[in-house]
Amino acid sequence: MVNVMKGVLVKCDPAMKQFLLHLDETLKLGRKFIIQELDEHHLFISADILVTLQAKIDDLMDQISFPLAEKGN
Amino acid sequence: MANNGIGSSKQDNSSLITQTNLECKNLYEYLKNQPQNVLDRLYIHPAICLAVYRELPELARQYVIRILFVEQPVPQAVVASWGSQASSKEHNYVTKVLTDLNVWIEDSLPGGLIGWMLSPTFKKNLKAALLGGGKPWSMSSALDADKNARDVGFLDSYSSERWECVLHYMVGSQQQEGISADAVRILLHAGLMKRDEEDGSPVITRQGFQFLLLDRHAQVWHFLLQYLDTVQQRGLDLVECLTFLFQLSFSTLGKDYSTEGLSPGLLIFLQHLREFGLVYQRKRKAGRFYPTRLALNITNSQNKNAPILEEDSPKGYIVVETNYRVYAYTDSNLQVALIALFTELMYRFPNLVVGVITRDSIRQALRGGITADQIIGYLKQHAHERMLTADTKQPLPPTVVDQIKLWELERNRLTYNEGVLYSQFLSQADFNVLKEYAQSNGVLIWCNKEKRTLVINKNAHDDVKKFWKKYSKGS
Repeated sequence: MVNVMKGVLVKCDPAMKQFLLHLDETLKLGRKFIIQELDEHHLFISADILVTLQAKIDDLMDQISFPLAEKGN
Repeated sequence: MANNGIGSSKQDNSSLITQTNLECKNLYEYLKNQPQNVLDRLYIHPAICLAVYRELPELARQYVIRILFVEQPVPQAVVASWGSQASSKEHNYVTKVLTDLNVWIEDSLPGGLIGWMLSPTFKKNLKAALLGGGKPWSMSSALDADKNARDVGFLDSYSSERWECVLHYMVGSQQQEGISADAVRILLHAGLMKRDEEDGSPVITRQGFQFLLLDRHAQVWHFLLQYLDTVQQRGLDLVECLTFLFQLSFSTLGKDYSTEGLSPGLLIFLQHLREFGLVYQRKRKAGRFYPTRLALNITNSQNKNAPILEEDSPKGYIVVETNYRVYAYTDSNLQVALIALFTELMYRFPNLVVGVITRDSIRQALRGGITADQIIGYLKQHAHERMLTADTKQPLPPTVVDQIKLWELERNRLTYNEGVLYSQFLSQADFNVLKEYAQSNGVLIWCNKEKRTLVINKNAHDDVKKFWKKYSKGS
């Protein structure tokens, strides 16, 4: 028999994949969302988490960026 | 003001996955989708034949001219032999274009060969356009000299004022006035604005933002296409309007034309064009009108370097420094509003605005649906002439360009693809069959032979399921 599941295929670099796995393991988004790990660059996740996930990733990016431009003066 | 509609609208899954960008059709793409009888009626007018001819690819123009005076079909093999083997790809492309546009039609020769022949209406009227003859164009009736004649400078300032009125309205600047309910309806129809969910007032969409950053020529063309979509609902005749538009595009700047002989429908159309600044009329009943630069060469969407438009484009006013500062020498609220879409404004003086490009400001623009290329394109297009005379070839500092692109890439580290996962196949053969099927239909997104797992496009799921049921019953 064949197992069929609906979801979203995510393509990303290995570093981002590790971050997603981390989010999944530590339940940072409130629950598990990864349905299956496919390979280095691909993950299969549930579709309804997408909006939350996108916001979380934006947060991460905000944390690791440093403001370049000098303002004021 | 640039905030409208960016942060407030909640993105749903579908918009994350398929972000629709503004699609700018050219004349070919537009006409291609018109039914054949509309095309046939269009080709009755020499003006349209000429416009279509001018927009054809070079090779296609060559073909058309070569067979224009041939009174019988030319075998397809002969047409193909006019070019060398190496350019057969191009040949196939122009063959398709000419067929799509119904410029030429297939016809069989006595010997059973299949040949090409220009469609009779097109042939007749292109000849009329090139050689003269035929009925005079409807706007050509003679006029006495206008007491209140307008010169080119006046028409230019009038048309840009009218057009900026529309753009102003879109960015939600406060000083907007004089935009009719009709224009708003077109903006809504075009998807450039949408009704706010709460109070129903129109707010700008992501396509709208992209629209604002286009050059003026592309804006007018896109807007008109959307307008033409709605003409039938207004009870106007599409063919009639298109014909008029094309005739307008071949008219002379600074000359006045008579409204005599225009049908009531066209008079309404003329009033709409007047509102957007494509024609100038002193009074509604003046009996004459002046086409403006916006209306000229309107179909000429490919050729960005059309000399006519260079005078039209306002002088560059933006200076970008390597420290991400942006200086815009302008007093137009519209331009300030546009700059504010992707910079953080710091100071404003009577003729100068100073802002700075930051990660946040760019990200806000990206969230609003503008792409990095559009921002860079806008800055380049309006670069101050001092930026152009600098030693380097590029008008913008490369660091800033690269950084804007990096900020965009940072948002796209993940790509999403809605799909259905098939796993745990009992045998490799089963897996292969389904994989082959999905592959041949172009719906396979990902597969792994060792794990016997594959992902197919979500939309194709029903189809693949049906196939799989049939297959497993059979085996």
